[in-house]
Amino acid sequence: MSAISIANLTKVYPIPFRRERITAVRNLSLDVEPGQVYGLLGPNGSGKSTTMKIVLGLVSPSAGSTRIFGRDSREVESREEVGFLPENPYFYKFLTGQETLHFYGKICGLSGARLRERASELLALVGLEHARDRRLGGYSKGMLQRVGLAQALIQQPRLLVLDEPTAGVDPAGSREIRDLILDFKKRGITVLLCSHLLSQVQEICDRIGILHKGVLIREGRLDELISIENQTEMILEGASPEVLAQVRALLAGSGARLLAERKPQTTLENFFLDVTGHD
Amino acid sequence: MPPSLPTPVKHVFFSPARIWAIATNTLLELFRLKVFYFLLIFALLLIGSSAFMIDFSFQEQFQLLKDVSLGSMSIFTWLLAVLATAMLLPKDIEDRTLYTILAKPVPRFEYLVGKLLGVLLLLFISTVVMSALFAVALYGRQQVVIAETIRNYAGAHQDQLRDALRGIRESTFTFSLIPGIAIIYVKAALFAALTLFISTFASSTIFTIMVSIACYFIGHLQGIARDYWLGNAATGALPRIFLALVALIFPDLQLFNLVDDIVAGNSVPMLLFAKTAALGGLYACIYLLVAYFVFASKEL
Repeated sequence: MSAISIANLTKVYPIPFRRERITAVRNLSLDVEPGQVYGLLGPNGSGKSTTMKIVLGLVSPSAGSTRIFGRDSREVESREEVGFLPENPYFYKFLTGQETLHFYGKICGLSGARLRERASELLALVGLEHARDRRLGGYSKGMLQRVGLAQALIQQPRLLVLDEPTAGVDPAGSREIRDLILDFKKRGITVLLCSHLLSQVQEICDRIGILHKGVLIREGRLDELISIENQTEMILEGASPEVLAQVRALLAGSGARLLAERKPQTTLENFFLDVTGHD
Repeated sequence: MPPSLPTPVKHVFFSPARIWAIATNTLLELFRLKVFYFLLIFALLLIGSSAFMIDFSFQEQFQLLKDVSLGSMSIFTWLLAVLATAMLLPKDIEDRTLYTILAKPVPRFEYLVGKLLGVLLLLFISTVVMSALFAVALYGRQQVVIAETIRNYAGAHQDQLRDALRGIRESTFTFSLIPGIAIIYVKAALFAALTLFISTFASSTIFTIMVSIACYFIGHLQGIARDYWLGNAATGALPRIFLALVALIFPDLQLFNLVDDIVAGNSVPMLLFAKTAALGGLYACIYLLVAYFVFASKEL
């Protein structure tokens, strides 16, 4: 059974006082298997948010269906197993971090000692124990994203839907959130991720779907989609100039073309984190 | 093979605990917005009204105090109901907090009921506090009057003094005060439900407030309009139908205005209180139900 099953999904929005209509999503079909990290990509206005909202039951489809672990998204019960972090979320600013998790836990049916333990566990997981009694109005962007992740996990969902989870977050916070997502994957939690940060998507997603003007134009395993078929990358360590000359000579006589030769680079993110003192 | 995940909490179809969580959260939100500061204005009004009582008889003093207090309570609870409710839904939508709540297994009906219940709790606490302040002020005024009376009746027969004191006590706390305050609360609760309904389709908080205020005036004036037009034999069928619709959609708020009789010390039958409260409760339930039908199909 797929974690998310989208079949022939179409969403059309009428424009008030005009005869025109906007087709936000057009005949979309895709499946997200349990335990996968699936990246839903696309330019602004491509239908990603609309698709997510339909999966979460916040918006009704014009045609087609969406199911979460076999249950129709429009049923309230289907959301038992889903945690959602919207883009740029604003939670109740008058609540502290702990009160926020308690509130979301209570509306998910948790109570008493179980809720208190779960909230403490999640605050520790997202690194917000020191700010548990501070009101969310005093939280930074990164802290809000982390408390958002914590509330998404409060009822121990099997599926997480994350919309731009690292938008506006500094590199260190972004790395922490990314590491959390990888940890969720190890725990078997399915993740549907929307992000414009393609370098991050490349690091964590197993499978991606690219939407453009409401249509799924590419879909599949990430490593298969972005591999350049007729090229091979080799990284050598400790090769002497003589060995490198022999390799070049071998290639010259073989019919293969040496396209580029350069020193491998670390990422700007790793470099930034190294110099600013983060792991 | 990924590690097996713990089983999440099983969804319950209708959960009073979920509604209570939303209600108490709403109450906390309104409390931390410091809406209770308006009670200071109420207290100042009570204190200020004493300045005008110097040359009044004790009956007039008690009537003035009751008039100012109950009238203020009526205005303040209504205002609080409209202002507190008007901002709840738009704020949650604008901040996208609503998405995180409805993405949990929370039926939209329970969300609305929880929000309304939170406002009703706020109104209840406010009404109790204002009633307590009013009772203290009235009791204080009673004691001042009793002390004056004892001084004035020094040397008079004990029976005369006793009768005078009985008259004072009977004029102070009359039986209809409590049901009268309850009707003030019911009227405010009705407006909270009406405002919630308006906010489900309104484009902004300001629009919601303006429409609620308009409904307040329609509710208070419709009785007069109805008596005038229906009393006129020349009124056509269309105006009569229109008036009937207005009377159906908007409650006749004059029916909830029992303050004048309470202040005058007139006896108000308990059956009238019960019918008025039931009418207010019925309208509140209908507004809540209609709000749900609109909100259930609202695309977020």
